[in-house]
Amino acid sequence: MTNLSLPIHTERLILRTFERSDSNALASYHLLPTVQRYVFSRTRDQSDLPGALNILRGHVSLQRPGDTLSLAMVRQQDKELIGHVSLHWSDATAGQGEVRFVINPAYSGQGYAGEAIGALLDLAFDHYRIHRIFARCDGRNHHSIKLLQQIGMRLEAHYREHALFQGEWDEELHFAILDREWQRSHKVRDLPPRHRVA
Amino acid sequence: MPLHPDYPLRGERLLLRPFTRGDVDAVYAYRRREDVARYLFDVALSREECALAIQQRIGQTALEREEDKIILAVELQQTGALVGEVTLILRSLDARQGEIGWIFSPDYHGHGYATEAARILLDLAFGPGDMHRVMARCDVRNDSSWRLMERLQMRREAHFREHAIFKGEWDQEYIYAILRREWLGRSAAMAGQ
Repeated sequence: MTNLSLPIHTERLILRTFERSDSNALASYHLLPTVQRYVFSRTRDQSDLPGALNILRGHVSLQRPGDTLSLAMVRQQDKELIGHVSLHWSDATAGQGEVRFVINPAYSGQGYAGEAIGALLDLAFDHYRIHRIFARCDGRNHHSIKLLQQIGMRLEAHYREHALFQGEWDEELHFAILDREWQRSHKVRDLPPRHRVA
Repeated sequence: MPLHPDYPLRGERLLLRPFTRGDVDAVYAYRRREDVARYLFDVALSREECALAIQQRIGQTALEREEDKIILAVELQQTGALVGEVTLILRSLDARQGEIGWIFSPDYHGHGYATEAARILLDLAFGPGDMHRVMARCDVRNDSSWRLMERLQMRREAHFREHAIFKGEWDQEYIYAILRREWLGRSAAMAGQ
């Protein structure tokens, strides 16, 4: 596998790894109750933020199963950091990966998350040769559900009360898409070709 | 939550009891078969492997920690014949999650024994076991297994495509589940009929 070429430019975004100086920008969306409501590992307050940023800064590539790649979503027009997307390599034998995403609610509804996830799926399938990507979300999280469906992911699981999530019975959805099902978008095809995988 | 059932568990026609050394031949009679092993994670077993499996099962009669299993022999009360085996696994202590599974000898298919045994097991899980949710899983091609899950009024919660490799091929797997209040409500509705 050739080295990962970062940052990734999409139509309106730059996807890059996190930097030490992202602390304030991360705080501006990551601590919001509406964001924390649905994340798997919570960042409760300002004091947890350096730890959260350190974790994100460590997510720079997928070398072995269990690794995560996290990319900050930066708007090209004003260099505003508006959220992040992550690709987690969960299983090498069966080529499984998971995407996660967080967007500042102030910028939601404009297709940024979908744009970033699209680029992440390209990366997962073309660069990392992952076979299947899944995404989990809370059953009440209608924005995420709609987004994942629009991307073309299929609802594969709807668990009721199969775990305790933030102290309550959960309702968890799993969406998934296979490499052969992923439709590369026009936006992505317009990008300069990536290095070929040997 | 620790579950130490009083054995045997009885249904109308069946008796569920811990395995004993004397069960090796009866288990080997069906676990050696390719058609039985087809949708199991195990391959068809040799007699030695059966003997080893039964040796392990003799101690698998209670649930205390996560991933503990209760594995029971299913016996016909009338004849004492061993017709299959059922499993109850403790998957999560804090969320009180369990999983059930079964393997029956094809020689005894078509009598509703698996349904009766699974009901006894769900009564155990939701009664003395105080579980909140019990799930079951199978290969999507295993019609008799998921039909049984539907007879038990479990709900299909997942249909995974190619999320793992099963015996050298991409899998497709169903997960079914039922909640405590659904199972108890169902039992109450049955009693009221």
